[in-house]
Amino acid sequence: MPIEINWQLLMPELVIALTLIIVLVFDLFDSISKTVLGWMTIVGAGIALWVSIQMHQADRVGTQFNEMFKVDSFSLFFNIIFLVSTILVVLISMSYLDRGDRKQGPYYLLILLATLGMMLMAAGNELIIVFLGLELMSLSLYVLAGYFRESPASSEAGMKYLLLGAFASAFFLYGIALIYGGAGTTSVPAIAEAITAENKSPLLLAGMFLLVVGFGFKVAIVPFHQWAPDVYEGAPTTIAAFISAGPKAAGFAAFLRIFMEALPNLQGEWSGVLILLAMLTMTVGNVIAIAQTNIKRMLAYSSIAHAGYVLIGLAAAGAAAGNEAARSEGISSAILYLLIYCVMNIGAFGAVILAKTEDGESLMISDYAGLGTRKPLLAMFMSVMLLSLAGFPLTAGFVGKFYIFKSAIGSELYLLVIVGAINTAISAFYYLRVVVTMYMREPEEELEFMPYASTLVVGLILAVIGVLLIGILPSLMLTPAQNSVF
Amino acid sequence: MLLSTVIFLPLLGVIAIALLRGLGATAVKAIALGIGLITFVISLGLYTGFNADTGTFQYVTQENWITSLGISYHIGIDGISLWLVLLTTFLTPVCILAAWDSVEKGLSGFMMSLLALETGMLGVFCSLDLFLFFVFWESMLIPMYFLIGIWGGERRIYATIKFVLYTMAGSALMLVGILALYFQNGNSFDLTTLSGPFEHSDLLFLAFFIAFAIKVPLFPFHTWLPDAHVEAPTVGSVILAGVLLKMGTYGIIRFCLPLFPDAAEKFTPLIVTLAVIGIIYGALVAMVQPDLKKLVAYSSVSHLGFVVLGLFSQSAAGLQGSMLQMINHGLSTGALFLLVGMIYERRHSRMIVDFGGLSKRMPIFAVIFMIVTLSSIGLPGLNGFVGEYMILLGSFVGKAFSKVYVVFATAGVILAAVYMLWMFQRVMFGTLDKTNENLPDLNAREIVVMLPLLLFIVWIGVYPEPFLSKMEKSVGIVVTKVQTTEPAMGRLEKQKPRDTKLALQGTQHTQHEKREKEAEQ
Repeated sequence: MPIEINWQLLMPELVIALTLIIVLVFDLFDSISKTVLGWMTIVGAGIALWVSIQMHQADRVGTQFNEMFKVDSFSLFFNIIFLVSTILVVLISMSYLDRGDRKQGPYYLLILLATLGMMLMAAGNELIIVFLGLELMSLSLYVLAGYFRESPASSEAGMKYLLLGAFASAFFLYGIALIYGGAGTTSVPAIAEAITAENKSPLLLAGMFLLVVGFGFKVAIVPFHQWAPDVYEGAPTTIAAFISAGPKAAGFAAFLRIFMEALPNLQGEWSGVLILLAMLTMTVGNVIAIAQTNIKRMLAYSSIAHAGYVLIGLAAAGAAAGNEAARSEGISSAILYLLIYCVMNIGAFGAVILAKTEDGESLMISDYAGLGTRKPLLAMFMSVMLLSLAGFPLTAGFVGKFYIFKSAIGSELYLLVIVGAINTAISAFYYLRVVVTMYMREPEEELEFMPYASTLVVGLILAVIGVLLIGILPSLMLTPAQNSVF
Repeated sequence: MLLSTVIFLPLLGVIAIALLRGLGATAVKAIALGIGLITFVISLGLYTGFNADTGTFQYVTQENWITSLGISYHIGIDGISLWLVLLTTFLTPVCILAAWDSVEKGLSGFMMSLLALETGMLGVFCSLDLFLFFVFWESMLIPMYFLIGIWGGERRIYATIKFVLYTMAGSALMLVGILALYFQNGNSFDLTTLSGPFEHSDLLFLAFFIAFAIKVPLFPFHTWLPDAHVEAPTVGSVILAGVLLKMGTYGIIRFCLPLFPDAAEKFTPLIVTLAVIGIIYGALVAMVQPDLKKLVAYSSVSHLGFVVLGLFSQSAAGLQGSMLQMINHGLSTGALFLLVGMIYERRHSRMIVDFGGLSKRMPIFAVIFMIVTLSSIGLPGLNGFVGEYMILLGSFVGKAFSKVYVVFATAGVILAAVYMLWMFQRVMFGTLDKTNENLPDLNAREIVVMLPLLLFIVWIGVYPEPFLSKMEKSVGIVVTKVQTTEPAMGRLEKQKPRDTKLALQGTQHTQHEKREKEAEQ
């Protein structure tokens, strides 16, 4: 039977694949300035973003390849998240790479490959496709984490990430195998049909928990989070920003798709686990972040805590128990949060890159003393991002948290929301500490900061505009998020 | 439209300063003061146009904001918020003028924070949408955080973080409460459509009350206050005492009492006990402070205890007295902080032992300080007396709690006289220290700063009628809500008419006394 391919549905993925090939080819010519490759990546991702937005607005949806690949408003919304993250990361990377003899071609190539993997994960309607996307993404990220070969820290990060990531992938694959054993299929809708109230074989339950572990590693949920701080600290800062944003969103996309669509009949079993994991993740992430003196490690723990907030949305969707409004609110709050989180987290890492001295980046929080008067623009960027991460009103972070908490109250998860709200107060402590250092402490030694790179500033301005715009007019992104529920 | 203008004009000032700060320090100060004064003048229009015959919200504006979540930009004021709005718009220009020469670094940032803070505070008092309220409630933290953290004293960083964390911990719980109300309010954050009884009203009451109690601050949530006050710059302390603390008591009267009257009733014994402990504890601790600013800070704890006592008295007189006392405290304590700031600028010390005999060198300062001190003590004829008297009267005649509480609270009035007068004596009389011999008296600007405060201190003391009449109906609505839901104990029917009568007598009584005072003068 010939497969009918609706190319239009695959446009965003095709555009990225085409960009990938173009970058690959142009990388061969030494005469071309390597920055051009970065711009090509941005243009390609920009076109794919534009196409995704158009498709999302026109509600152009459908399935492909025997229902293995599902384009719906959910996957399109995630495409937007991934592509926005990719564009921002490339913008903050261009000046970062532009020194010494660092090869730039493969860098952009790998970023595009990872992006393609993420898009596959969000659209995968079949466990094998999800796994394919996951591996495509993860393998690219392992290389990217160790991209600075001359830096031992970077190599260590890459190695650590590879080893632990491989374990996680194995768990994930084993989970798929067990679910296949229990349900007799790997197709998402077919699994949902196969699992009935009577047929809850131990195989399925074991498979489900293995999937939780696998996803837990990928999105850095406590207690599967140990790799994150080390990898973030050692990896190039731009890659730390990248890993903490898009791939986390992709992990949650597949998490949502599989658990809400394939395993809804096991809700009773998994929603309790998620509530517990959410509480644990937020609390551990925030409390350990307080003790950090290195800003990259602090952001790593903060990003763990933020995974906990997203989990609240998942738990709310899971605990909705037949309440359709609460279920869709849980899902849409999680995806809105992921979008906001990606922008503000990349922005925060971007500000770290901006604070560059002759000896490299300033990674100690104490180095930021006095920046408020000496580098007002940098301090402003950093403050906006941190206040947003802390969830102060008029920033996007507040909108995201508010919506997450609201959805959880809708599912009557009061205790979870109280824990989340208290965590918000805890997190304010360490975010504000950086702001305190910048504006209220005098520097101990005069650090010579490098002049700003224009692309980096453009990327940060975009992030600041995004954070404030969503903060003041939430409907701009809220309505699309609410329309992106499967 | 008028109300929105008042709220957002200061924000416009922030933008103007940000754009024009290249013009120099004088221009920045002039812009800030100009915006502050214009805002005040426009806000007077709110007073003159306010219809005192109804207790409902006026100047209401409602615009769609986040439609899909039932959130709108919904503002309006009643007789309760009117006064807090005016207090805010009044104190801000006073503060700008007071800070004229005392800001050494980052002047434009200082003025921008002050104006942004004004917008935040006004927004809190005017919001009729719970989401909007929360947004203003939290966003006002950031300018305050900078005011203390950048322009504060030695231990400013500790103080500012403590301040923010206390408030955030409280507001985290309030956020949960707000969300829970949303679902019981037919998926809307509109305050005007909220009507109980609510499920889990005890817990909801506590969620809101703890947030407000931290802000007030009610004993034992008060520990952030002395730190914040001592480390804040003078103007920060004035705003903190004058307006920010009122956000807590305002929250109680706007949310806790009318929305959860049953729960309020249930927790009244506990809350009133804490309030009375606060009154006496604050006074006792104030008595032994060697630092002038700390003394004033602890006196705030004591004064706010009175306000909370009156709020839970379930009587019109008590609630009106509390409202009036909120304004009084803003004026008197604000004035005290300004005076302490002025002496600190001259001597760079706030220790009481460093002073003595100042009245010889600084007669104008001494006179003004005397008036403000007496106002804070509650001398009849000045503002403090009217408020405290009404609170005590309302608490005594109201049946909300035992009269024993009132007796103890009254002891607080005596203690206030002790610590304030003793402090005044040690600073103003006695032998003049050599180092203080060259302290200049107040200059023209400082007198201009103090005069409007003195004007209102005397005005409210002598003729509080214009203040009480505008708030009467709105307070009446709250009182009805609190009283009608009293558990039917049989004595309810008998008690209610008597209660109102007594309460009315209370007001008449005070007015009567005022007239006597006037006659004397």
